[in-house]
Amino acid sequence: MDSDIVFLFLQQGIASGLVTGSVYALLALALVIVFRTTDVANFAEGEFYMAAAYLAFFLIAIVGLPLWAAAPAMVALIAAASGLFQRVVLRRVAAARGVSVNLVIATLGLSYVLKGAVRATGFGDTPRSFPSVVPDGSVTLGQASLSYLDLAILVTALAVMAAFFAVFNLTRTGRAMRAVGMNRRAAQLVGINLGRTERLVWIFSGGISAIAAILIAPKLLMTAEMGGVVTLAFAAAIVGGFTSLPGAVVGGFIIGIAENLVGLFVSTRAITVAPFVIIMLVLIFKPQGLFGGRLRVRKV
Amino acid sequence: MDDLLSLDALTMRFGGLTAVNGLSMAVKRGTIHALIGPNGAGKSTVFNCVSRIYRPSAGRIRFDGRDVTGLPAHAMAGLGIARTFQNLELFNELTVLENVMLGAYSRHETRLIDRLRPGSPRTRAWAEEILEGTGLKDCRETKANGLDFGRQKLLEVARALALSPTLLLLDEPAAGLRSREIERLDAILTGLNRERGITVLLVEHVMQLVMSISDTITVLSFGEKIAEGTPAGVRGDPRVIEAYLGTTQPGEAAREETASGEAAHG
Repeated sequence: MDSDIVFLFLQQGIASGLVTGSVYALLALALVIVFRTTDVANFAEGEFYMAAAYLAFFLIAIVGLPLWAAAPAMVALIAAASGLFQRVVLRRVAAARGVSVNLVIATLGLSYVLKGAVRATGFGDTPRSFPSVVPDGSVTLGQASLSYLDLAILVTALAVMAAFFAVFNLTRTGRAMRAVGMNRRAAQLVGINLGRTERLVWIFSGGISAIAAILIAPKLLMTAEMGGVVTLAFAAAIVGGFTSLPGAVVGGFIIGIAENLVGLFVSTRAITVAPFVIIMLVLIFKPQGLFGGRLRVRKV
Repeated sequence: MDDLLSLDALTMRFGGLTAVNGLSMAVKRGTIHALIGPNGAGKSTVFNCVSRIYRPSAGRIRFDGRDVTGLPAHAMAGLGIARTFQNLELFNELTVLENVMLGAYSRHETRLIDRLRPGSPRTRAWAEEILEGTGLKDCRETKANGLDFGRQKLLEVARALALSPTLLLLDEPAAGLRSREIERLDAILTGLNRERGITVLLVEHVMQLVMSISDTITVLSFGEKIAEGTPAGVRGDPRVIEAYLGTTQPGEAAREETASGEAAHG
């Protein structure tokens, strides 16, 4: 392989990697904010994303809403459903002295319910393609080429991340979320409503997953199993340390870029292996993740 | 003087264990009230009931004339009840100043901008003032887990004060402190009580502190009140001495004490 091609592949791999990576980053962010504040690894994350894609498909292709109306409506509905899940299911599991494992199993249950629901509608029988919402065409950056859709994905994802970081770092609500993640008892002591804060986190998490879905759906075929992509979001979160928000974003980009580079330099069949190789490398050399802070020894 | 906090036949059972049994007591407004007793007497359980971490099995808790037994834990801050924990519960990754500023989370902010944006200049100034008063000003930028134990204990008190509490619940504030640090704590608490009229209820084993600052002392043993009164009165009470030092047949003695304690106070 001569150096020109290597250089071209590098540019294209990084550019495309940033696009897919931005979607992984959003999904990882949705996972990490829930894990930080509620200690729950949300295994229904992928199904929220899948349900969001189908809901958007339903609103646009069947109801006939324009994108500008369908997208916000869908995001609001999924966010509300996520909050409702916390309020109705998780709160009861927790009230019944459920520990973290019980809560995680509740999310697994939800993932089956959502998959079943989509299959029951009949939409999930055959893979469907999402209506194109961005005009065709592409731009060239350096030697890399990105479609308008790719650009729209990247720009929207970055804007959503920036907005969430602003909420998380600059507002009273965000401060409450961070405080709950650090010390629940102390948070309650200073007057933070744990239930309300957790619910808000789930609402944000659902909303972010829904946005990720509408961004990437036009590039993929929709099936009831499309939530499997959440594995890559878990990979991104693990690479970032699982509790760090910037870590989730950086992890998402690393996974996205690695996939694309492996696809270009090695083989497209090796793409699925790339994230796991990265997880292994991270776990071997920095087990707490890239942004996981120092290793702590817990007293048992 | 009226009652700021009153417990009415408070009972807390954990399965078959009765940690607090029909405890009635009142903390008068503007006083420093100590709750003492041997290990396992139920002191911390009383605290956890008052700060709503536990839901009492029976009995009522009244604060400032209002029944607060059914309120959620986070509502206590808004009422003006602050507490510290025996085993520190700090925001370890935050600085001393940030911990105290978070302590002011529930303080009523009238301006919308202050409600949305944490760390307004006013909150910051308020937190600085508290750090000054508790002698933590020098380490305001230190992370909470980087402080020595004595200062972490003080920081718990400082964070509780940021709420501008009417009632301050202190769970063993002096445990593990050196005697010089205890003297400083003594001075801080006495100052708060005299100058700002904060009512203090503390659980404490360090008798040096308890005897020096308390107006009233309630003594618990096996979840029941066995004595109550001024430091001098409680110190000489034979039931208290027995509860602490025990007799040759501790089980029997405890039952007898309980009976006589109830007769005296019931």
